[in-house]
Amino acid sequence: MALSLRRRTRGSSEPNIPTASTGDIAFLILIFFMSTSIFSREKGLKIVLPEKGAETKIKAENILTVAVNQTGQVLIGDRIVNVPDVHTLVREELDKNPELAVALRVSRSAPYQIMVEVFDQLKIAKAERISLVPVQEEGGGQ
Amino acid sequence: MKKIGERKIATPNIPTASTGDIAFLLIIFFMVATHFRTERGLKINLPQAEMTERILKRRNVAAVWIDATGRMTIQDNLVNPAMITAIMSEKVIENPELVVLLQADKDVKYGFVTDVLEALKDARAFKVTFATSYAKGGG
Repeated sequence: MALSLRRRTRGSSEPNIPTASTGDIAFLILIFFMSTSIFSREKGLKIVLPEKGAETKIKAENILTVAVNQTGQVLIGDRIVNVPDVHTLVREELDKNPELAVALRVSRSAPYQIMVEVFDQLKIAKAERISLVPVQEEGGGQ
Repeated sequence: MKKIGERKIATPNIPTASTGDIAFLLIIFFMVATHFRTERGLKINLPQAEMTERILKRRNVAAVWIDATGRMTIQDNLVNPAMITAIMSEKVIENPELVVLLQADKDVKYGFVTDVLEALKDARAFKVTFATSYAKGGG
């Protein structure tokens, strides 16, 4: 008490914490966080896989097969189509038959880009029931 | 000279006391919004898709990376499909809401992707997202 009182009387030596630089420090940390932060880049095309062995039987007439062959050509039924046309064609088929399930059958040696493009087209066509048919070995060995 | 002296008295004073508070507010925002990249992943070019959508809950995401040559990694460990099943089934038990983010290069052969999908089915990790980037319109 005595000490503090004596300091008070001196007056001029009142302790003074400099706060001018807190802002600078805070901005420094801010820049660090801004440069290291990654905003959620997690984006993509969602799909829910079916459980193994719990495949639901769908009548053959309710299945539309969209296939991608080794060279990346896209086939609906037996017809070769262009990728950007897939969504209109699938939409037409879906309008004809709302029960339709789309089976996407992609060759193992087809490029992934084509598969994603076709899958995207199915999403654009608002196909609700999409299944990815796993293709095992193909005839040619490739 | 006299004029200058007079002006000095009337020097405008910008209050800077609150800049620190503002900066700390922003820091708190960035700290909450940020998450550090825990895995480096592989060098890949994502395929593009128009219907790309965001995964909202980031905590539920586990990534599997596949590069153009078909190498697969999970948390920077090189894995094969059998190991993916083992790792992912553990993660699914911990968090049934798990979404597997498949970060695959656009030039990879689809066979590798389908192998991973089969592995994920075995692991009962049914929620899968193919990582894509937004397609620039017009395609």
